[in-house]
Amino acid sequence: MTPVPLLHYLTVGAILFALGLIGFLARRNMILMFLSAEMMLQGVGVNLVAFARFRGNLQGQAFTLFIVTVAACEAAIALALILILYRTKRSLDVSLWQELREPGQDPTVDEEPLPPEPKEVPSPTLTPSGVEPLQPKETSHV
Amino acid sequence: MLVADLASTFHYLFVANGLYTFALCAGAAAVYLLLPRPNPYPALWGAVSSGLSLVLLGWQMVRPGSLAPEPILFYSFSVLAILGGGFLITQRNPARAALAFALVVLSSCGLFLLLAAPFLMAATIIIYAGAIIVTFLFVLMLAQQEGPSDADQRSREPLLATIAGFALLGVLLFTLSENFGTDNLRSLLDRIQAAQAKETAEEMARALGDSDREEQLFFDGFEKTIRAGGRSSEIQNLAGEVFNVRLRWNPAKQARDIEKMRTALAEFEAIALQTAALFGQLEPRGHWPLSHFSGPASNQTRDAFRRENGVPRMPAENTAYLGRSLFTDYLLAIELSGTLLLVAMIGAIAIAYRRPGRAP
Repeated sequence: MTPVPLLHYLTVGAILFALGLIGFLARRNMILMFLSAEMMLQGVGVNLVAFARFRGNLQGQAFTLFIVTVAACEAAIALALILILYRTKRSLDVSLWQELREPGQDPTVDEEPLPPEPKEVPSPTLTPSGVEPLQPKETSHV
Repeated sequence: MLVADLASTFHYLFVANGLYTFALCAGAAAVYLLLPRPNPYPALWGAVSSGLSLVLLGWQMVRPGSLAPEPILFYSFSVLAILGGGFLITQRNPARAALAFALVVLSSCGLFLLLAAPFLMAATIIIYAGAIIVTFLFVLMLAQQEGPSDADQRSREPLLATIAGFALLGVLLFTLSENFGTDNLRSLLDRIQAAQAKETAEEMARALGDSDREEQLFFDGFEKTIRAGGRSSEIQNLAGEVFNVRLRWNPAKQARDIEKMRTALAEFEAIALQTAALFGQLEPRGHWPLSHFSGPASNQTRDAFRRENGVPRMPAENTAYLGRSLFTDYLLAIELSGTLLLVAMIGAIAIAYRRPGRAP
């Protein structure tokens, strides 16, 4: 039985890293940018654990444990920052903060209008019922 | 010179590895088509493109005939992880994207388990699942905007971001396959094994190459492939060993002595197998007494720890050994990371605290 070659694990790590990079660069929701950064860390973790397996020592696993620790710290700080940014602008859109750009850069303008809001479908209601029919009084026949 | 370089690059990208390049381009097209924008492209195009890219990459990398549990589990976990990553960056609904991230984490935890790291798997599930639930609550709490919003319906520079990401991926895959790719070696090994299976001396003499010239080409390729495996002295010695074994193979071939030819072929096979086990290994340098608490030290040759298929043994009590490694080799680092957690907690509280009488 041949084991899965090291190259394949490294490829999966590289693909996760690249997808996370694209997500971090392209998405505008701050929480999704943060999740993409976490996905890049996952890709690095897969790499390190694969090396640890194929070199027969635990150094890669210890490194990944430290990565997980630092990622937890990063999550705490990032969520606190996102919270305070959201309180200021009332939106998670990172492009609202583009006044922080370098001097001399043109601002990005969204030209295409957003799609129209979908019409709310009214939830179904029962037709109002009529007058409650009279029930015959219960009598005992004993 | 420049033209020749360009031509060889072109040949490498589009002729020798055309399917890889095409798979990467299809993946880039899929991500570009699926990224959120106000007037989205039909989702079918993106789905077809991403499916094409995954199938092509799998076609190139998966070797048929291996239906053992490990490859099956590996390929299913990795396809799940990659699909989850794609969903994470292309979903318009942030709640669904957070769930896709949970999928990525769970399937990479499956990969950790396949790589003999059960403690790390459990720790990652606990920590990331906790972080995911917190993030998920934040998404639900904060992003309750009615209707489409700028943050979710638009991408920032989707084309440039896709090109940047896939250019990085292409460079990474190129470097990895140059340093860790054993495909050439495996095809050479297949030829040697086919030669070993021959019945008569006449057939065996012709198995590595019909004419002397073809056989010379075979051995040149063999030596070149071994030398590509790294600069470590072990690998360079193995490449020299090919020449020594040829000195025994040639007279045996001339004399049509099947027993001696068998012995020489077995030696060639052993060289190829040893090279496959050493591929991409760094040079072990010096004999300083390095710590052994995390497994064999990095300046040791790992032959003693290798099984016949090239993967070393790992201790069964992963948690106990990881603990020993953390509290000996990494004692300072683990204390520092505890301090880092404390500082991050204080920092998060200080940042998010709403001071009375101030604006946000």
